Amino acid sequence: MSIVTDLLAKPGVVAAGEYAYRGDRFSYRGALTEEHARMASIMCRATTMGVNMEGKMLEVFQPRSGLQPPRGWVVHGADYTVCVMANVFCMLDNARASINDIVGFMRQTMANAPSDLI
Amino acid sequence: MATLDELMRLPAAMAAFEFRGSGELLDQRIAYPERINETTLDLLAHMCAANMSIATMQARGWEKVTAMKGFYPIQEFTLVGFDWSVVVSGFRREQLKNEDKTSLPPLMGVVLGNEKADYEAAFAVLEGQEPIP
Repeated sequence: MSIVTDLLAKPGVVAAGEYAYRGDRFSYRGALTEEHARMASIMCRATTMGVNMEGKMLEVFQPRSGLQPPRGWVVHGADYTVCVMANVFCMLDNARASINDIVGFMRQTMANAPSDLI
Repeated sequence: MATLDELMRLPAAMAAFEFRGSGELLDQRIAYPERINETTLDLLAHMCAANMSIATMQARGWEKVTAMKGFYPIQEFTLVGFDWSVVVSGFRREQLKNEDKTSLPPLMGVVLGNEKADYEAAFAVLEGQEPIP
């Protein structure tokens, strides 16, 4: 099974998908329209590129601090949370999902994902 | 409202800090200065302020376009690094804004080692929902 399928089987996962770092492709499953999923993948990709730039800057400033390479990021709102690791994103319903479980699962599953953003 | 010392009692806490919305570091506690020192934390605070602003803009736009509610305002932004994560919160500031308060406290953040990080506990403490046992 793909990580997207695995994520969708977890409690509280509303939608999940993957995007290409070069920005020309995305795929998703779950309760989003195609257009909204496209927008979500673009926003997730933009933030991922941003935090990777920040990680490189911090690494130059203080080598081996432990941030670089960034694995992902999480935005937590009142009702929904967006979790992104490497090029995989998922949207969670806070009332039903465990953010710790989802982040742990994504970190573990994506542990060997290449960090060169290709 | 959480204090820096309370945040340092979270599992795997490596540092805790207060910073302005514009990113300047105001105060900090550091457990492992060989990994994260004050100047590193200052750059990290600026990164977190920028990411909170971008995430807030994206949540605002997302809600307008999709009519889905529950993203804005952003309560916490977490950057998951290779060895550690940093969690920052603007929750208390948003609460005070809703109460029409004009004097807002600084933003707060905590750096947690990834292996034992409890993100939900960090959110709860940063939001002032529960004290550290």
